[in-house]
Amino acid sequence: MNAKIDFSKISFLIVDGDKISAQVVYDTLAYLGASHIQRVKTPNDAFDVLRTEKIDIVICEWRLHGMDGLEFLDVMRNSTSSPNRFIPVIMLTAHSEHRYVTTARDLGITEFLAKPFNAKALYSRLVSVITRPRVFVNTGTYFGPDRRRRQVEFDGPDRRSLDE
Amino acid sequence: MSHFDWGSGAIVKPEQPKKKKNVQIIPAQTDLKRRAVNFVKGFDINLSPEQLEELEQVVQRSSETFVRDIGKDLMECRKTVIAGLGDKSKRPEAITAAGDLAYSVKALGGTFQYPLMTQIAKSMENFVGERTTANEKQLLVIQLHIDSLYVILAGRVTGFGSTVEQATVAALTKLTERYEDPRE
Repeated sequence: MNAKIDFSKISFLIVDGDKISAQVVYDTLAYLGASHIQRVKTPNDAFDVLRTEKIDIVICEWRLHGMDGLEFLDVMRNSTSSPNRFIPVIMLTAHSEHRYVTTARDLGITEFLAKPFNAKALYSRLVSVITRPRVFVNTGTYFGPDRRRRQVEFDGPDRRSLDE
Repeated sequence: MSHFDWGSGAIVKPEQPKKKKNVQIIPAQTDLKRRAVNFVKGFDINLSPEQLEELEQVVQRSSETFVRDIGKDLMECRKTVIAGLGDKSKRPEAITAAGDLAYSVKALGGTFQYPLMTQIAKSMENFVGERTTANEKQLLVIQLHIDSLYVILAGRVTGFGSTVEQATVAALTKLTERYEDPRE
């Protein structure tokens, strides 16, 4: 028997100023059975929703007016006024160059989805966020999900627990 | 404290206590998984090709909205650019509008089977990026991008087009290189 995901149990917040892009994500989530989906255009509106409602997953566009998606993520992960520092954030963006991906990763993004995207790519990010929750790492310079996505053999010292 | 080891006859120093780095590992939050993952209701974690096809059709539902809205945005942006050609004070506004439009088309073109639009929009975004204003020739380069995007949209040229369309993309890219400077 295959494991399933009941999307009706999950609440989503879409933060995207682009009407069509937000609609595509909304339609996809609604088709999957999600019944609690909020849409806002700006990070400030997103914070209002996050402070008043229980949201499980944020899907956020990078390019936003006012505060951009990265600043939004930074506040979510690092500010004392953050409504939820642990909330999974999927970043959607047409900035798919490597430097953008690493910048978002180093600010604590949970998943990154480059535009133009298709249904399969969006679904795989949702599955990853829901079924493979990651430990959080808190250091002096980083707070967010563990950035080590792959388990690879490493012979060197474990700098995470010990000084060199 | 160091001591004398009678067995080896050497002075043995205790190992330095290993200093812990200030790293906190917080266990993964499994609440979402517990709530949503089951064996009865919902969508399979691994969707079948048929299910994926259905999901893709949901995405494509917005295709007509894309064609209509982007067509409108292209026309409005073209007007703004033309206004900028005649009036220097309107150029920053034209650049902002062109940047927003380029990003939007770049982001969505490929999703709706218009990857050629994504290619041209990318060229336009690179050209417009971080400019606050533009000279006359640069505005004309932007206008050519907008016109090309409009032709593709109006002709419903899905996919990457033929050699003619690819030659157009190459020509636009060359134009952006030629009129790259000054970047203000």
